[in-house]
Amino acid sequence: MSTTPRIKSAVDGQVENFATVTAHNAPVMQRFFDLYGSFWQQGVLSPDLKEMTRLRNARITDCGY
Amino acid sequence: MDTDAGTLLRQLTLQPGQGVLNHRPELAQQYAAFIDCIWAQPSPSRRVLELCHRRITAIHGQSPQPSMDYGVALTGDELKSLQRGDFAPFSADEQLALAVAELMPYNHHAVTDVQMHACEQAFGAAGAVNLLVALAFFDVNCRLQLTLQADQL
Repeated sequence: MSTTPRIKSAVDGQVENFATVTAHNAPVMQRFFDLYGSFWQQGVLSPDLKEMTRLRNARITDCGY
Repeated sequence: MDTDAGTLLRQLTLQPGQGVLNHRPELAQQYAAFIDCIWAQPSPSRRVLELCHRRITAIHGQSPQPSMDYGVALTGDELKSLQRGDFAPFSADEQLALAVAELMPYNHHAVTDVQMHACEQAFGAAGAVNLLVALAFFDVNCRLQLTLQADQL
């Protein structure tokens, strides 16, 4: 597992995270957040239920995000 | 909806199980547009993406997905090599991407800093980001399709 950011932040003055690293590819980042925003903001499942499953998935995959 | 997204959406509809996405048409459309965008980027090449897509579907024991068909032709020998996980016939950059693809489905924590540095050197920062996003969603697409098929059994 990496111990340091593998790709630098694309945003001056901001630390590396999913958004600032994917910002190296603005079109892909925009399309991803369009999709992700729709996933979270619409649908019949509650945000709480989605968050619970997201956290469980993150634990299983050993993801700190 | 642009033409590519529309085409992909129709292909998704024809995929066993993935027609379920159209219960959420706006989500299906945005998913198709997102996948289109990955394939439209200048780096890595569509050939590199197709090699990785084929390898990840092989790892999952799946057939190539029509929804990911962006018109890249591979030879029969290349396809057999990908099925075996033999990357020797491919170029250095292709082998680099395939090595990361190999780890994405079940061993993603084993991707090394050295590999990622090499990817950034080979494909640029934007290309390296696109490669990682593509690999992740090739895997997602396989898992989604496998799950939906299982639900139908």
